[in-house]
Amino acid sequence: MAECSEIGLLLGAFEDAELEPHEMQDVAYHLARCDACTSLLGDYASIGRELRSTVELPSLVGFAQSVQKRIDNLPVPMGRRVGRWFGRLGEQLNSGLAMGTAMAAVAALTVLVLTPYLRRSLSPSLGQALVKAPAVASQQLAAAARDVEAAPAAIAVAANAADSGELASDSHAVISKLEAEMPSVAVWTEPRSDTTVIWLPDQQ
Amino acid sequence: MRNQSRQDGDEAELIERATKGESDAFAVLVERYQRRVVGVAMAVVHNQDDAVELAQETFVRAFENLSKFESRSSFSTWLYRIAANLAIDFWRREGRHVVLHGEDADNELKRMPSPQGDSYKSAARSELSERIKQALEELTPEHRAVILLREVEGLSYDEISETLQCPRGTVMSRLHYARGRLRVILKDLGES
Repeated sequence: MAECSEIGLLLGAFEDAELEPHEMQDVAYHLARCDACTSLLGDYASIGRELRSTVELPSLVGFAQSVQKRIDNLPVPMGRRVGRWFGRLGEQLNSGLAMGTAMAAVAALTVLVLTPYLRRSLSPSLGQALVKAPAVASQQLAAAARDVEAAPAAIAVAANAADSGELASDSHAVISKLEAEMPSVAVWTEPRSDTTVIWLPDQQ
Repeated sequence: MRNQSRQDGDEAELIERATKGESDAFAVLVERYQRRVVGVAMAVVHNQDDAVELAQETFVRAFENLSKFESRSSFSTWLYRIAANLAIDFWRREGRHVVLHGEDADNELKRMPSPQGDSYKSAARSELSERIKQALEELTPEHRAVILLREVEGLSYDEISETLQCPRGTVMSRLHYARGRLRVILKDLGES
């Protein structure tokens, strides 16, 4: 049988069930035959019970809130601040991209929907303009042809008038401009036929 | 077992969120461990106000150092270790002892009721409680911490070893010494 001094070292751990199985067995075997160690074990158990009933823990009402308050008052570390800033920036960028995409989609949809109506509303005026365009052009061509036909006669009249000194008295035929750089070109107006005449020499 | 693993998973997630600065997640951990952390601090300093203050400081330190927590040990043991270190430092710095001596002790004894009357049982209970408090005060903080962590907080020897950062054998020998010492002190107080 083991000595009381050896078993005494293990009694507390036996009470706490913290021994190896073979040690538990040895202590249990000793206790079955030793009143002194059994009494000591009883004292240890009693001390444990008394400690549990004596030690009072303070009230923890508001404890977590106080901790939270102290944590909230801590200075935020630089790394965490930078991280939060980037996080917010990322969120903003994401929402900006989403907003831009949405706006582009709405614009594209608007164009697609409105294009047929625009075509329909614009086509009548365009058609009219296109129908009138040949008539206007032919009128302008006819007027130009008449001017060309009248030009030699006008030139002859002007020449005669110049020869006879009539030009000074006839203020209706005015040589408005003689091109300085090309003195052979003459431009004048003929108010009676409401015509501007541009005289060019024959090309040789 | 399933509940335990669910709590571990939940705890890991809470720790991860708290590490990112989410104080709400940390508040859940505070609620979960506040009683034990106060108990660990009480085991060393043996004063309620100081224990509460030290426990709050423990959680603040833990929040600040969450990124350093390695899941090699459990989160609870890590917290208890912080609490124990703070409490032991505090004890060494302050060197507080609340043992009644001289006149105070005499006055206390005069107020004790006689072993007759209706209030005898509660008075005896109160007397025993007072004796135990006195006996605890006479232990060194290391011995007191070990026995209170074991008997009141119910920590295993391995948990006590991690919390107080000492070998398991030291825990066993300190416990053996503390129990023997308390037994003697309580007997002496009873006889006197």
